[in-house]
Amino acid sequence: MKWIWVIVVVVSSTFGDLLAARGMAEHGEIESFKMRGLARILRFIATHKVVLAGIGSNAVAFVSLLALLSVAPLSFAVPATALSYILKTVLAGPMLREHVTARRWMGVVLVSIGIALVAV
Amino acid sequence: MSTNTAAATGTFHLKNRIFITLVVLTNTFGNLCLAIAMRNMPGLGAVPFGSYLEALFSNPWLYLGVALLASWMISTLSMYTWADLTYILPVTASGYIITALLGKFILNEQESVFRWAGVVVIACGVMLVAETPERTSPMGVEE
Repeated sequence: MKWIWVIVVVVSSTFGDLLAARGMAEHGEIESFKMRGLARILRFIATHKVVLAGIGSNAVAFVSLLALLSVAPLSFAVPATALSYILKTVLAGPMLREHVTARRWMGVVLVSIGIALVAV
Repeated sequence: MSTNTAAATGTFHLKNRIFITLVVLTNTFGNLCLAIAMRNMPGLGAVPFGSYLEALFSNPWLYLGVALLASWMISTLSMYTWADLTYILPVTASGYIITALLGKFILNEQESVFRWAGVVVIACGVMLVAETPERTSPMGVEE
């Protein structure tokens, strides 16, 4: 049962971040953080379907993580869900057209291993 | 012209650093507040559900935690407008280091050798990615 929750957490968190990143990229770089700029970004977030789908998918990931924690210890849940870092990096190339260099890959792998070690 | 470009680059790096710090701190302290809020709660089955909800919504740590995590979400979404997902994810993982330090020095938790090894490995990963360009994908992607 715990592996099913791991899959749900990893998949929903991956798609949550990919969708949110893709949607927000359409906004263009934020330059102003005055009240008007802030109101504009909040309106963009609240009305953009792809961004909202990303937030919804991350909400599913959060609730599934709580479900996972009810059947497995933190020292299992955290390293298992660190797999999502790898999946996000694999999909960021085709889905977001990011250029993932060897240096970035090494960084992501080190961070994932580190997260797993911290939870042991 | 080149001075303007240099100033713009400087402003960009400052904005980027401020947001990395904001994302890391709001996430770390938001989670900490929620953990404190839940520690003060009675067990879910131990009291009637109405009393449980009453205790939950009268807990100031809950509101502080939710406000911090809402700020975390908005700052992360803002960063997506100028930085790659594969840059933001590893760089903001430095929150795990702060959590380990908070556990050791504030909560006096027992720390294992594995945990400190993990902190060092995460720090190496963060430093590697922090040196790469923030954006490699075209802005406003739509094929």
